Amino acid sequence: MVEVLFASTVTLTAPLLLAALGGLTSERSGVMNIGLEGKLLVAAWATGFVGAASQNPLLGLLAGICLAVAMSLLHLLLTQTFRIDHIVSGMGINALSIGGTSFASKGLGDRSQSVAGVFFPVWMYWILAAAAVLALALALDRTRGGLRLLAVGHDPDKSRQSGVDVGAVRLRALLATGLLCGLGGALIVTNATSFTDGMTGGRGYIALAALILGGWRPLPTLVACSVFGFVMALQLQLQGSELAGAAVPSQLWGALPYLVTLVALVGFLGKSQPPAGLGRP
Amino acid sequence: MTGVTVRFGSLTALENVDFEARPGHIHALVGENGAGKTTLMRVLFGSQRADSGEVTVDGAHVKSRRAAIGMVSQHYSVIPQLKNLQNLMVGAEPGAVLDRKRDRARAEGIARAMGFSFDWDAPSSSLSPAGAQKLEILKLLWRESQVMILDEPTAMLSPADSEELYTSLKRLAEEGRTAIVVTHRIREVLDHCERVTVLRGGKRVATLPVAETDEANLARLIIGHDLRERGSATAEPGPPILMIERLTVLGDRGHRAVDDASLVVRKGEVVGIAGVDGSGQRELFQALIGTRSATGSVRFGGIDWLNLTTAKRLASGLRLVPEDRHAEAVIEDWSLFENAALGLHRDPPFAHGHWIDTQGRARQAGVIADAFKTRYGSLAQPMKSLSGGNQQRFVAGRGLTTQPKLIAAFQPTRGLDIDGSAKIYQAIRHECRQGAVALVVGFDLDELLVECDRVVAMCQGRIFEAPGGLERDRDAIGRLMVGVG
Repeated sequence: MVEVLFASTVTLTAPLLLAALGGLTSERSGVMNIGLEGKLLVAAWATGFVGAASQNPLLGLLAGICLAVAMSLLHLLLTQTFRIDHIVSGMGINALSIGGTSFASKGLGDRSQSVAGVFFPVWMYWILAAAAVLALALALDRTRGGLRLLAVGHDPDKSRQSGVDVGAVRLRALLATGLLCGLGGALIVTNATSFTDGMTGGRGYIALAALILGGWRPLPTLVACSVFGFVMALQLQLQGSELAGAAVPSQLWGALPYLVTLVALVGFLGKSQPPAGLGRP
Repeated sequence: MTGVTVRFGSLTALENVDFEARPGHIHALVGENGAGKTTLMRVLFGSQRADSGEVTVDGAHVKSRRAAIGMVSQHYSVIPQLKNLQNLMVGAEPGAVLDRKRDRARAEGIARAMGFSFDWDAPSSSLSPAGAQKLEILKLLWRESQVMILDEPTAMLSPADSEELYTSLKRLAEEGRTAIVVTHRIREVLDHCERVTVLRGGKRVATLPVAETDEANLARLIIGHDLRERGSATAEPGPPILMIERLTVLGDRGHRAVDDASLVVRKGEVVGIAGVDGSGQRELFQALIGTRSATGSVRFGGIDWLNLTTAKRLASGLRLVPEDRHAEAVIEDWSLFENAALGLHRDPPFAHGHWIDTQGRARQAGVIADAFKTRYGSLAQPMKSLSGGNQQRFVAGRGLTTQPKLIAAFQPTRGLDIDGSAKIYQAIRHECRQGAVALVVGFDLDELLVECDRVVAMCQGRIFEAPGGLERDRDAIGRLMVGVG
């Protein structure tokens, strides 16, 4: 029971973590990113579809990452070059992704459904996610790139005054966002072994909540993701169990992670300090 | 720099300007708003392209010596959320991977040579304005700049901190560097600089050794005519009308930003509040307006002021020239018409009962704009199309032409030149002679001493008054500002 709970916590935490870290690089550079959900979804679809079509897990993963990076760069283009509101652009990317993957998975046939076993093992993603947390924590603290990322996120104008190329910093940050979300989406479809419509189920938003709770810092974000992962695992275990002798509808248990997200955000939001320049050109 | 010309569309910002600064000197650049000082310095720094002209440093074309020129602009580049060490090197890090020991050693070396000391791991949000200014100078030294441009470096500093800044600059000049200081304050030029260049209307009027000029002469060169003397002498103050007693206001961090402060203002008085930025002036004003809760008592004309809503306070004649134009004074996307009525929209001439009086509003908007010669094309244009100085003229006009009874002005002349500043103070004094009272927060003690009837000092949330006979004594008030009475 405990081992099952632990294993499923890790399984559910890893994609959240990858997405949240993707959000971290983006938002630390000052680019608000509510489009994590969409990036996860397109990556999940592309990994499943290309992986199945080519029977090559590497090609599948690369396709997932490329599509997520493309979405990330689209967000960069819309918000930086065309100065579209960051929220609007993020919403647009989510809508495009939901509709696009739904259309593609029907239009191109359900080939991804029929084949299993063309994915990398999940532990590879776990290791990558753990490595990403450490790498980001170290980079923010000890490297030129990390320092510039922090500076740009807090105040793009002052960073320019100090000779930082804000555009270049944001480009790199959004590339990292695409890469991390690509890995996250690939992991989601790997866990499920096949693509289904809207299969990310709001995990991009939960990742965003974890990012906020973690105060936009890598290690606390890991903790927040683990808590959410644990609650999601718990609700799977609790499915079908009774509360005070009465049967509880499965939907109620299913709502648990979202309820926890809500409560956590309400409880902690005021205490979390966002990058001061979030959303500024 | 020779023959520098810069055009913005049809406007010529700089016309054939020659400028020369020598190593080992502190060179002052003075002139009114819009004279082209900052534009000229941006050309030198490289952030503004010149339409024609040549810039050389040490005989070499400036492009090859770009790294040798550093600029501290009016708005500091220090990011409060970063640590001091991070701020020092961001944008000029020594390598892709940061070696804290090595970087800190170098930072310490540079700071010690200047006689500064910094806690490198402390967040820069804990720096005072003077501390941030010092860090800016160290940033230039970290980048090994030979030519240092400082735009209005003392705007936010106390007199003691300004003295210290110039001492540092002198030391740097003695090492063979060149310091160029853009300033409005003639006194600083006379006290600390070796040479001065005067710009007026985009042209160079004069470059001369400071030793060969004086205050009156410089003022004449800057504005093109003699400075008008300060209006009437102190008028006989009336009975006490504004009584602030034991006022305490909590700041954003929960600290006592205004701490048990008391002040009595008599009818007709213009009271200057001197103090270093962040001494509680902001919170005092917010409490007067009613956007921040306060304990203690404020009575104005016998009314318990703190119990009134903000709307009632405005209706009772409170007029505000706030600190932060963009955030507190105007709505930038709105037209000048609409901004004229902002906050005063409930009463004539802006309203007829529940209806907007568009004609009255248009008339009053014109009066407001013309009061201090706001430069605008049409009253229908959005506020954001005006330059900062012109927005300030408009905001001051709104406060001072709409029958004020209690004027609360925070740096009312911020970003304005000598002529514009003088006009605003004239208007404040004029209203006070009609029976209003004014509280004026300023960071330039000399300006307050000249323009106000009485100057009090604010330090760490408390209000201090100089003892009888010394109400306008520069040294006495300067000491009160930093808490040594």
